[in-house]
Amino acid sequence: MTQSHYKHLRDRWRVRHEDLQRKLWTKHKESLDWLSGNYRQLVAGSLGGLMLLTGHNSNPTISFPQASASEPAMQRIDKKVFLISDLAKALPTEVKVLTNEEEQKVSDILSRTFGFKIVAELEGKRLNRSYGLIGAEQHLARYPGDTLSTHFDSEEERKSYWQSGMAPGLGAWRYFAPSKEALTQLDKDREKYYIAVQTFLSKDFNSRVSEYRDFYKYRKMLIVNPNNGKAIVVEIADAGPGEWTGKHLGGSPEVMHYLERVDGSLKGPVLYFFIDDPDDKIKLGPINESSS
Amino acid sequence: MKKYFYTHIIDTSTLSLELGSMELDPKERTHLISLIDSNIHHAVLDIVLSELNPTDKKTFLAHLISEDHDKVWKFLKEKVENIEEKIKKTAEDLKKELHKDIKEVQAKS
Repeated sequence: MTQSHYKHLRDRWRVRHEDLQRKLWTKHKESLDWLSGNYRQLVAGSLGGLMLLTGHNSNPTISFPQASASEPAMQRIDKKVFLISDLAKALPTEVKVLTNEEEQKVSDILSRTFGFKIVAELEGKRLNRSYGLIGAEQHLARYPGDTLSTHFDSEEERKSYWQSGMAPGLGAWRYFAPSKEALTQLDKDREKYYIAVQTFLSKDFNSRVSEYRDFYKYRKMLIVNPNNGKAIVVEIADAGPGEWTGKHLGGSPEVMHYLERVDGSLKGPVLYFFIDDPDDKIKLGPINESSS
Repeated sequence: MKKYFYTHIIDTSTLSLELGSMELDPKERTHLISLIDSNIHHAVLDIVLSELNPTDKKTFLAHLISEDHDKVWKFLKEKVENIEEKIKKTAEDLKKELHKDIKEVQAKS
């Protein structure tokens, strides 16, 4: 009975909510687009004001409206604004280790936004943190003999990414393939979309090394830049950076480029959560918000 | 609940009370109340923006995200005649619809 009342009202009011949102964005698109493009300047870096625009509430089960096929820009801005605004509300003002409650909120937001299960802890294992400063890593050799001259599939890729250079050592799992001939598209993607995380700072790591190693090897994660809503599916292929660097994880050149994150004094935070993908259905690479 | 520039003129307690009399667990009630707030918020934004010209819309939105409620009201009162009444009426109309939804859902059980 209780569930029935709740579900009926929830479903009705969601539909109303979606209609009102769609109406608002359709009628006042120009002004709201202007706000989306200028909010950073308007609120001097604070995203808090966006809550006023979205009327955000924190319940993870609320769905947002689908824009019509003729309004892709509206859909993109709309969903991105909601993601940024939701995360702004859930995250602390400083970049720190999230509390369990904060992690749960973020997990709910991301799972709802992208349409699959995204968690900070999987199979009883978790990293030392799920929100931290990302630094830039270099390209990894994918097979013996892989160098900058063999590393890129196109001239465009070469121009964009060669300057990041090759890491002097191998990734945590050694080569991605035993030879150039054996290199698959998956191997290429694994190197292109890899991250280095501080596996060695996981709780009880030293007493459970082999267990953790097997768990982390090419473990799929979602990385999100909370400031622009950009998200990318990656795999763990290296360990690092060291604690002394002040950074908490590293991203491949392609990952950093997509997220619009840079190293050095301008380095910024990202969220990094495990993707629960037992059937290996989620593809590596940039990902957009779910349409449902 | 977050305070908006119109919070003081819109009373949603009748809806909250009605939900309070239903067999809902606290989480469900909180979620439904948040949906009420969000629905009202979007309806209010729509009516306000519909009363403004393109330039004034931007000024309003800039004031809105600054969360300076006094500034929002001062601006709106200068630009739109009877804006308080218009917002109240919009909210009341929506509240009636939401009450109707509750009654229909209760009648089904």
